[in-house]
Amino acid sequence: MIELNGITKTYTRPGGEPVNALIDVSLQIDDGEFVAIVGTSGSGKSTLMNILGLLDVPSEGSYRLRGEDTAGLAAAAQAQWRNKRIGFVFQTFHLLPRTSALDNVELPLLYSDRASIRGLGRKALESVGLGDRIAHRPSELSGGQQQRVAIARALVNEPDLLLADEPTGNLDRQSANEVMAIFQALNKSGRTIVLVTHDADIASHCQRIARIERGGIVADQRVAEPKIALQDAL
Amino acid sequence: MNTMRLINHSAEMMGRHKVRTGFMMIGSFIGVAALTLVVSVGIAAERKLVKLAHQMFGESSLMIIDGGGHMMGGPRNPGTRLKIDDLEAIGKQVPEIESWDAQQGLTTSVRRGDSTDIAQVLGESERSEHVWGRPAVQGAYFDDSAVKSSERVALIGQTVVNQLFGNEDPMGQEIQIGSVPFRVIGILETWGTDPHGMDRDNEIVVPISTLMRRLTNVDTITGAKLLMAPSAQEVQVVKAINTILRERHGLAANQPNDFSILTASQVQEVMTSIKKILTLYLPLVAAISLLAGGIVSSTLMVASVSERAAEIGLRRAVGARTEDIRLQFLVETTATTLAGGVAGILFGYVLAHMGAAHMHLGSVAPWGAALLGIVSSTVVGLAAGLLPAQRAARMSPVDALR
Repeated sequence: MIELNGITKTYTRPGGEPVNALIDVSLQIDDGEFVAIVGTSGSGKSTLMNILGLLDVPSEGSYRLRGEDTAGLAAAAQAQWRNKRIGFVFQTFHLLPRTSALDNVELPLLYSDRASIRGLGRKALESVGLGDRIAHRPSELSGGQQQRVAIARALVNEPDLLLADEPTGNLDRQSANEVMAIFQALNKSGRTIVLVTHDADIASHCQRIARIERGGIVADQRVAEPKIALQDAL
Repeated sequence: MNTMRLINHSAEMMGRHKVRTGFMMIGSFIGVAALTLVVSVGIAAERKLVKLAHQMFGESSLMIIDGGGHMMGGPRNPGTRLKIDDLEAIGKQVPEIESWDAQQGLTTSVRRGDSTDIAQVLGESERSEHVWGRPAVQGAYFDDSAVKSSERVALIGQTVVNQLFGNEDPMGQEIQIGSVPFRVIGILETWGTDPHGMDRDNEIVVPISTLMRRLTNVDTITGAKLLMAPSAQEVQVVKAINTILRERHGLAANQPNDFSILTASQVQEVMTSIKKILTLYLPLVAAISLLAGGIVSSTLMVASVSERAAEIGLRRAVGARTEDIRLQFLVETTATTLAGGVAGILFGYVLAHMGAAHMHLGSVAPWGAALLGIVSSTVVGLAAGLLPAQRAARMSPVDALR
């Protein structure tokens, strides 16, 4: 699914001095894996996530997604990939305010070339257990529910790769557990998931943990027995 | 990418930011309302002016007015020299003059029983209808024998009819002009109000000889209208009249005229400058207010782009291309400005309607102004949206999501 080879990302600070956010990162993630990328803030994990999600381009190195080199992709093609093949989940949910859960979930469909979008948003909301909340606005939902709406949004175009950036960072234990249960269920049904977190407990729900420090991957190991998140919340 | 879907969505987005949308709409609302108002009133006023100039001048005619100086604006020397004899001499000596009619005027009280009116009484000749071009809608003008024998007959305007007769038939009835009894022999065509606010239907036409002898007791005239042959050269005719009148009035070479000649081309000149004000400068002022509204919209939208950075980043993350973001902000700005503009058209039209009624301009046609309002608010909206749309589209998704 994902093949990173020698990725380096260099930013220029406003002062003019260059900063290496990622240095020579190589990483391979296969179809159907559930990988946690752990690290402290400033370690480069968000930069790695942005590159994986085609929101940012590496300064050096190659990124092959499903066997295709992303370096040659035009901006419009990148947008297409983000729309169809990648689903994003953010720490702060990024739901549009004053907009119903259904409209939020259907937002990616706006940029899709699908002929028919009827029922897709509702189906996605039902899949995260919010079939009875479609008309609610974000302000009328709990944090956990808001994040589930955001997951439904990531799923609405049925991508095979989910990228989650600290998805439980703003949630209490209970809600975090619900979200992890959803991710585990999605992974079970075949989706590849990459999850960035600084929380070791959250990471222990994944099958594999890659540790990133100062722009480089320092450890990458399989989890012998991933923790099972409780399903009964759904 | 489904463009219609995106446009619908963008329009919906505006409803979720009611305060900003409201302020943006006010800008184009005021601008377009002002534009609609001045354009539709301007058109009505211009139409009225043209009609009036036509009533006064017809195709080719001149007016001679007692007293010198400039016709339009500025003080005029009081003149008491112009007489019917002068006009007769002109009529004889200038072959291009086909017909003419002298006029003497007086504002006085008119009575019938207990009903009174203050009306403008005009003394004219049997050529009045032909020269001044105001027909009688009932009855008929007096003939030359009535003028010769100073008969006390009168044609009255509609306002006079209303004031003195109400619903009664005035034909053949007697009215008192000053203290002299006159018989009503006709009713004048309705002409409405002139640009000075004078009610042209509050007029009475009587034989000029009767007016001079019975009411004013002077033999000078206020002015005269002369009809020229269509082939006549205005400049030469004016020159000839000048020479004749100066000679008859015994003016030395260094003395100014004690009369004025008003020509159709002079009126045309004045009309052109009034038209310019009505159809160019006034709309320009309104357009500036619309422009100001556009700048307000643009500024609010630019502020909204920074405020909505996270939203823009999210949209990019879920697959929006830069073009989609640009289109969204352009549509949002334009839809808002246009909505404000449409409301402005309606409001401006109501104002124009009231204004035109107040100024007796007749009906105002809204279509030209409405089209202008729609086009201009769309253009202003697109222009106002360009900068915010560009900013939004240029925003890097990574920075926007941070």
